[in-house]
Amino acid sequence: MTAFSQPKGIRKLLSRFGVSATVASLVIFVFLPSFFLISFTFTQWPEVYTEVFANPLIGDTNWIEIQKYLALSLRLAVSAVAIGLVFGIPLAYILARKNFWGKGFLEDITTFTLVIPTSGFGFVTLIAWTSIFGVDSVYLIPVINVPFIMLIIHVALTFPYIVKTLKAKLEDMSTLFEQASGTLGSSPLTTFRKIILPLTLPAIFSGAVLAFARSLGETGATLVVSSVYTTAPIAVIRWVSQFNFGSAAFLGSLLIIVASAIILPIEFVLQKKGVSSFSFFSTLHIEKKLLKLEDFASRKLPRVRDLVVLLFIILVVVLPIIVVLNSVTLSWNSDPDTGKVTESVMYQLFGPSNYFSALIDATFVSFASAGIATYIATCIAIPTVFLIKRYRFGRFLRAILRVPLIVPTSALGLSILLLWGPQGLNLANPGIWLIILTHIVFSVPVVVEPMLATFEGSDIPLYEEASRTLGANSYNTVESVSLPLLKRGILAGVILSFTRSLGETGATFLVMGSATTIPPLVVNMVESLAIPAALFASTYLIALSFVLLMLFRKVTTR
Amino acid sequence: MPEVKLTNVVKTFDKGRIIAVDHVELHVRDKEYLTLLGPSGCGKTTTLRMIAGLELPDEGEIYIGDNLVSDLPPEYRDIGYVFQEYALFPHMDVWNNVTYGPRVKGWEEEKRDRIGREMLELVRLFERTDAFPSELSGGMRQRVALARALSSGSKLLLLDEPLGALDARIRTDLRYEIRKLVKDLQLTAIHVTHDQAEAMAISDRIAVMRKGKILQVGTPQELYLNPQHIFVANFVGESNFIEGYVADRTDHKLTVELRGGISVKSLNQDHKKGDKVVVAVRPEVLAIQKGKKSGVNSIIGDIEGFRFEGTNVRYEIRLENGDLAVVVRPALMAEWLSVGEKVTVAFPVEKSFVFSYPEKGLRTELALE
Repeated sequence: MTAFSQPKGIRKLLSRFGVSATVASLVIFVFLPSFFLISFTFTQWPEVYTEVFANPLIGDTNWIEIQKYLALSLRLAVSAVAIGLVFGIPLAYILARKNFWGKGFLEDITTFTLVIPTSGFGFVTLIAWTSIFGVDSVYLIPVINVPFIMLIIHVALTFPYIVKTLKAKLEDMSTLFEQASGTLGSSPLTTFRKIILPLTLPAIFSGAVLAFARSLGETGATLVVSSVYTTAPIAVIRWVSQFNFGSAAFLGSLLIIVASAIILPIEFVLQKKGVSSFSFFSTLHIEKKLLKLEDFASRKLPRVRDLVVLLFIILVVVLPIIVVLNSVTLSWNSDPDTGKVTESVMYQLFGPSNYFSALIDATFVSFASAGIATYIATCIAIPTVFLIKRYRFGRFLRAILRVPLIVPTSALGLSILLLWGPQGLNLANPGIWLIILTHIVFSVPVVVEPMLATFEGSDIPLYEEASRTLGANSYNTVESVSLPLLKRGILAGVILSFTRSLGETGATFLVMGSATTIPPLVVNMVESLAIPAALFASTYLIALSFVLLMLFRKVTTR
Repeated sequence: MPEVKLTNVVKTFDKGRIIAVDHVELHVRDKEYLTLLGPSGCGKTTTLRMIAGLELPDEGEIYIGDNLVSDLPPEYRDIGYVFQEYALFPHMDVWNNVTYGPRVKGWEEEKRDRIGREMLELVRLFERTDAFPSELSGGMRQRVALARALSSGSKLLLLDEPLGALDARIRTDLRYEIRKLVKDLQLTAIHVTHDQAEAMAISDRIAVMRKGKILQVGTPQELYLNPQHIFVANFVGESNFIEGYVADRTDHKLTVELRGGISVKSLNQDHKKGDKVVVAVRPEVLAIQKGKKSGVNSIIGDIEGFRFEGTNVRYEIRLENGDLAVVVRPALMAEWLSVGEKVTVAFPVEKSFVFSYPEKGLRTELALE
């Protein structure tokens, strides 16, 4: 039966049902958990207040702590983004505009920290920086301390967002403007300042926003290295494990509010206005000097730029991986320094502590929860993309879909716990189902984003019109034209969501109960000082990430 | 001052698999308007981009004036370049676009403003200085692009299909405007186009390119009246091509026998008796008369097709030997004939060209791609 022969009323009813079902699942699975924590804090305000500001035993100590944690988190996030911008912008430029041997590899390395579960990468970095410079050298090189390593990790985990968004924008942008600028006599650096920078500023900002959000919510890697330094997401986890739900909920809400207050206005302004011509140096005097400097630097310094960027990548990503791979082979049968067999990888894996079977179990839980969460998220995401593109409220939907992406995951986990868990509606106990419910929340926007990008890059409305003029009804059109065209976007989204889910630590910690996934397992290993086991687990994660990376590359490159 | 010289220039793409420009020699004289004309993919744009420094040649040398510029990036070549897609900076208004060159060259404010004003007046857009490129029509955008290229003060203007993206009527108007501007400012201009009518109307000289090679350089008249290559005869103006072989030759004249035993006479162009040749005759050279007539180079045929094209009428005539010929006559000067009529077509001996039959076949040699 074709659409034509259906009575109009039924068609309308079907489409209305589809729309409301999609909206309903978005609300239940995505929006409700994202915002529940704040409403919880408000409805339970008296208890929260007593716990945070007027504890009968410790007074307002919790409030003072909260300020301290938030300050550290914000300082970390801002510094990480600043460093990420300094190195990320030239890196994105090189990747988008230059051709050289090993470019594909450099791209993989850049994507690597997005893919690897962060607790594994945190441990890798910790081992690399402390084993190269040694524990004693903390006194020789005073810079290498815990906050410094934290910063390095946050930079490594967040700069890919800046690189990826800017690179995508540059690749989309025609090189024509740069060529035109060159023919008008401007040096490459001047072209960069006057043409490329203003035209890509929205992309740079949104990359920085993503990086900032990721740093603010980062839990896995930070937990591994934190020792006495506590960031806000870690504090949430610690308080929950001590059943201090009031303080945890208050801090979590603050995190959500801070993230939204910083990020959403920037996004909104950029979406609305874009950035038109701007100039830092208006007076001709400075401008002239600057032009000379840029001309000089353009001729003499491109090598330096390439070297600095390369060095950065090697230091923050490549070196840690190599050091860990080296350590794991060295301590395979016995500890390289003490010679103790009990400190070897083999002993800890298969000995009394039997970390190997724990790792196998965790792998199963991780893959199952990531797989199911991604599947459900994709089922919600596909109709959501069409809602965003076809309806007037689409823009609004798109904007609030950004929220789950910027909500720190430990706050999200707490929100889920309080909403669906025993303390709330009591739908599920901590365990794999609660993990899945948590992962769906951020997986939906993660799948939606690349699909939207594909949608916008492939003229789908045009082909849909062509299909309709050839006599296909709207259902056939979506099935035989739109979805195949979106395939790449869907696959990219699925892989991104799967890796993100696999690596998620902060929220999982709070909702997992006894069903441990891999990243918390690594944290546990480190906390119980089973270093060789953690070395092996990290190596395992590195290998896993490379496999996922290859998959991702195969799917996204044509 | 700005002459441009290319010696033995080669450019390949895709690791040498595609030869875009194949040993090109070209000398553009000072204050000359030269057009690189050819079908798409013939290497004309690549040649222009190498002159600008947007591509670097694999081999050969490029001189602007007395300077060897082969390896110099565009910003040091002192050129003006007009892109087909305008390439106006979308985040700057007309004024900032036009004064971009002076600004990045660090010129004094006063000089910058004076040149900006002059150039905008030249292209008659002074009242739109605050507009952004997205608010302008195609023709206006291209005039802004022209003003921007000129305001860098260069005496060498490079134009890459500058009229290609415009509507037909605006295209013809703007081509005369550009030529006048170039001549008034005494510039050297190199213009790339695939439109032979545009090339004829705008250029002092035309270089016809095909498959990376320059086939012939000459004034529009030379190319039209005396094409040296069978491709040029077809691309610059149209031609009818009739195959045959040389039956007889004297010092000045050739007798060519066509299919069906018809023989025609033409001027000798160093062909030997027995050579396989192609006789080219322009449609507008062919005279057409009702009925069977006899005379030198007269061939009988039937009218198979007729089109009224505005200025001209166009007949397709099936000759008695089975070949097809196209005849174009001015619409107002001729009595129109109708399909099915028997006619005689004729052409003067000195207005036909004889080319050796191409080794790769006539169709391949005339192919545009």
